[in-house]
Amino acid sequence: MLDRRSALASAKPYVSSVLQIGEARGFSLLQVAGPAKAISPITGKLPTKVGTALQAQGRTLMRTGETQFWIIGSENDAIATKLDGVAILTPLSHSRTRIFIEGAPARDVLSKGLPLDFHPTVFKPGMFAMTGLHHTPVLVHCVNENRFEIYALRTFALSVYDWLTDAALEFAE
Amino acid sequence: MTAFRRLEKGGRIDRGKPVTFTFDGKPLSGFAGDTLASALLANGKTLTSRSFKYHRPRGIVSAGVEEPNGLFTIGKNEPNIPATTVDLTDGLAVQSQNAWPSPDFDLMAVNSLLSPLFQSGFYYKTFMGPFKKSWMFYEPFIRRAAGLGKGSYEKDSDRYDTAHEFCDVLVVGSGPAGLAAALTAGRSGARVVLVEQDSEFGGQLLSERTADLEAWRKVQLAELASLSNVKIRARTTAQGLYDDNFVVLLQRHEESDAAKGKPRQTLISLRAKSIIFATGALERPLVFSNNDRPGVMLASAVRTYLNRFAVAPLKRAVIVTNNDTAYLTAFDLAEAGIAVTMADHRKVIPSDLLSKAAMLGMAMFPGTGVADVEGAKQVSRVQLAGAHSASIECDVLAMSGGWSPAVHLTSHGGIKPIYDEKLAAFVPGGFAAAHFGAGAVMGRFGTQAAIKDGNDMGARAVADFGKTTKPVAPPEGKDRAYHILPVWLPAVAGKGKAFVDVQSDVTVKDIRTAHQEGYVSVEHLKRYTTLGMGTDQGKTSNINAIAIMAGLREVPIMQAGTTTFRPPYTGLAVGAIAGRTIGHHFRPYRLSPLHDANKASGATFIEAGLWMRAWYYAWAGNSPETAYIREMELVRKGVGLADVSTLGKIDVQGPDAAEFLNRVYVNGFAKLPVGKARYGVMLNDDGVVLDDGTTTRISDTQFYLTTTTAQAGEVMSWLEYLLQVHWTDLKVHVTSLTDEWAGMAVSGPKSREALQLAFPAADVSTGNLPYMGCLEVNFDGVPIRLLRLSFSGELAYEVHCPADHAHALWEHFLNVAAPLGIKPYGLEALASLRIEKGHVAGLELDHRNTLDDLGLGKMAGKEKAYIGKELRLRENLQAPERWSLVGIELMEEGKKLRGGSILFSASDEIKGHGRGYITSVTWSTELNKFIALGLYQGGLKHEGEDIICAFPLKNEQMKARIVSPHFIDREGARLNA
Repeated sequence: MLDRRSALASAKPYVSSVLQIGEARGFSLLQVAGPAKAISPITGKLPTKVGTALQAQGRTLMRTGETQFWIIGSENDAIATKLDGVAILTPLSHSRTRIFIEGAPARDVLSKGLPLDFHPTVFKPGMFAMTGLHHTPVLVHCVNENRFEIYALRTFALSVYDWLTDAALEFAE
Repeated sequence: MTAFRRLEKGGRIDRGKPVTFTFDGKPLSGFAGDTLASALLANGKTLTSRSFKYHRPRGIVSAGVEEPNGLFTIGKNEPNIPATTVDLTDGLAVQSQNAWPSPDFDLMAVNSLLSPLFQSGFYYKTFMGPFKKSWMFYEPFIRRAAGLGKGSYEKDSDRYDTAHEFCDVLVVGSGPAGLAAALTAGRSGARVVLVEQDSEFGGQLLSERTADLEAWRKVQLAELASLSNVKIRARTTAQGLYDDNFVVLLQRHEESDAAKGKPRQTLISLRAKSIIFATGALERPLVFSNNDRPGVMLASAVRTYLNRFAVAPLKRAVIVTNNDTAYLTAFDLAEAGIAVTMADHRKVIPSDLLSKAAMLGMAMFPGTGVADVEGAKQVSRVQLAGAHSASIECDVLAMSGGWSPAVHLTSHGGIKPIYDEKLAAFVPGGFAAAHFGAGAVMGRFGTQAAIKDGNDMGARAVADFGKTTKPVAPPEGKDRAYHILPVWLPAVAGKGKAFVDVQSDVTVKDIRTAHQEGYVSVEHLKRYTTLGMGTDQGKTSNINAIAIMAGLREVPIMQAGTTTFRPPYTGLAVGAIAGRTIGHHFRPYRLSPLHDANKASGATFIEAGLWMRAWYYAWAGNSPETAYIREMELVRKGVGLADVSTLGKIDVQGPDAAEFLNRVYVNGFAKLPVGKARYGVMLNDDGVVLDDGTTTRISDTQFYLTTTTAQAGEVMSWLEYLLQVHWTDLKVHVTSLTDEWAGMAVSGPKSREALQLAFPAADVSTGNLPYMGCLEVNFDGVPIRLLRLSFSGELAYEVHCPADHAHALWEHFLNVAAPLGIKPYGLEALASLRIEKGHVAGLELDHRNTLDDLGLGKMAGKEKAYIGKELRLRENLQAPERWSLVGIELMEEGKKLRGGSILFSASDEIKGHGRGYITSVTWSTELNKFIALGLYQGGLKHEGEDIICAFPLKNEQMKARIVSPHFIDREGARLNA
């Protein structure tokens, strides 16, 4: 009865033959704060470097700080129950809207707003950056060479999407 | 009047692609590959504009970014664009400037007759009196008469973008040095960006006639294009150099279409590991009488027009020089069949030049300069004087005063250029780490030297990060040594004005005046005469002015120094700086998870910070003035639903969470029971109130902290700062939940009934959920947090849920509680209800008030320590006469109280800052009158006294009375119901 409604429910679709921009829904995000050695027996091997992500047990494990991790799982992931008491847990699944951008021009479009080196040899799959886009804090994850997922704050998501699709207007149909 | 013509063949223009454009509405034609300047000359347009101050006839002087005269308005709204930098495109519409009705017949040319009046400092001296504010009176008239192109108030129809780039090596300039540098660096595998402001790569090579140089250029470009690690960008100007190798580039796109998102220009923020400056050199003019006549041009420009654009003087050219390079122009012109007369200030001229000149039939005048130029609107005759005197008829007078390295960019970082006596020019005064100079910018003017320099600097740049490379092979050839005889002043004084800065109409006489009047520093000279202050920033004029001033002061040129070089190197559109930060992209907007629900409920929105908040709802009326009153009545008598998702929400977790909050809040939190909420106030470390809110204990180690909407970000940063800097020993994690959780207030006497209807399985009785209680329920699989809090003063609850479910929960409430008459209420009502209750909010929490000012002093714990405790007890912060919180009732019917009104006691003279002011005001539905909260000197000591609320902006004065700020339900019976 209490259906979920996306922050981008009223967003105008972006249509292009070379670039896709949209929302990647259906995920859970759990922030876990604690020592890696206590967490990894449950989650699988954690990334050793801040700004990098690993895949384990069908989840994406991001190291967002020395002792802080983001666990991205399926929408109904129950990892939190296993980690209860092991680390400090903060569910954040609703706090972020995941916007993907995929296609050959993706790096160029992101470069319009992000002061990051998007060269494929520098910003590689598995890396992410906690940075600012359109004056709002975002986490940008390089999923594969031409696909990026932007975790935008939910309340700014439409504004960020609006900015992004405007930046990508030259590739739209 | 025609002084130029298009040659039948030659040049780099594409004769297969004719282009039509308009000049002052008249259609003209050119070719693809033309600049606007070359096309105008080819169409015989030598008189193109009128000068800034004297409205003298002017024509195109140069062939590059240094152009001082040939400025036009492009399209409807882009003024002051040098014709030499505009690619000719079909449909280009060009307007002349600063001339009416036309450059050819300009009524304001009367200024020229009055010119004896208009010497430097004229305006300052003349318009200072007779009264103190006379200048303010005259200024608009003077500004209207002067100036170049006019800006437009129309919206710019073009699109401008921004971009960020990174590279290992940035090479600025694509002459022989830049090409060699880029390729040498590129061959190492390093990431190289080569930028060229021109539409084509090659720099000076584009003006050469020899096939082997062109072949060399093409080979290098082909290899550069083949390297995936090299990006080459034409039409891209390095506008500014900043700290840490940060360079701002402006890229002009060949094609643009705003509707399709294709920008006209892109401002690129580039971060390079190293930079090679191959910015070349600019030729400078000579100073002599009437040197501003149309047809008086830089010698290198005449050569560029001839060789690159196939535009030649009609029949005759006079060339005046003080160095060898003008001979390249002379020989090319002579070979093209133009009759050339050469005047060389030097008495001794290299013999190879003399013999070639003789072979080409040129007339030679060694030791001779120009005394004067004749021709009203176009040079027709040149008077030569010196070792020889002669009067020569001509179509063009080409001049070369030598070359100035384009040191601008190298100097943006603060390294001043130094004067090189041998070159008679300023060269870079040094380089920061990982910066290199190559070619003409270093004063090495030959092609071979430039290529060698480019090779060397390219190799050095990549060696910095451990890469090796191989150099570029130069073409066959040998450089000539550069010989110059510096000539700064007219060799022979003529009758006319001798211009130093043609764009700003500054003459030799003006510089003498500045010197006489004590403005001898180049910085003062610049500001007193406006020299070098035009759109060209004195690219051709500064060196002559510095040298003339040095001569007047009898000091070496180095001692006179240069003015400061600042970005941008060339003019750029304001639109390019703004990029897409326009319209609704100017700043981000922030939407509550209930935004769409609010919209569906008929909300009118208002911007509050970045938030778009529901202001009032259509059911209550069509204007905020009336709607909020109905919404208030709903809450006071029935039940209302309000979106409070914008409140800051913070998860505070960890074994030391209670201790942490106990230190942060002035009141105690250590012993707050699980399941209970408490109102808390926190201070800055200077003892002034930072924020308030309620915090609920979820478990022994977890709290749910809320902040005001306005201070959410600040409080979050403050808590993180305290944990990371001051109390690193505390085991606490804080995370913003503002976006994770949505909130809605259910308020009014019927709110418990509404809550029960919404969550039938939950026990929401006072026994189970008392005032300041918290109940966590699971509804439809969704965790929901019920907090019994009241901002309105009524029985009320806040219902918090994960954000994505909020829309459905809002609809659920409106549906199930419809029989109770539930309706939404907006920000205006929310903010008004709290005034009746006397709750402080953002308008009172303005970072200037203390706990005591707000009547909250008793909350502070006496025994425990908390932030701001000591400093809040400072004498002045405890002074009894501080402005502190009071309630205010309007005593006059038919009038209204206004926020911001200044408060006076009834016996005061209404003057000055008064004794306080109104912070918040509303109509009270309970009391049927206007009420307000305010700050008043001495506060509630004056309860019951009459005051005057003055609102000078509308010249209003209202009688009012100081009362308690708690207008309703002082005992709290309603919220405890």
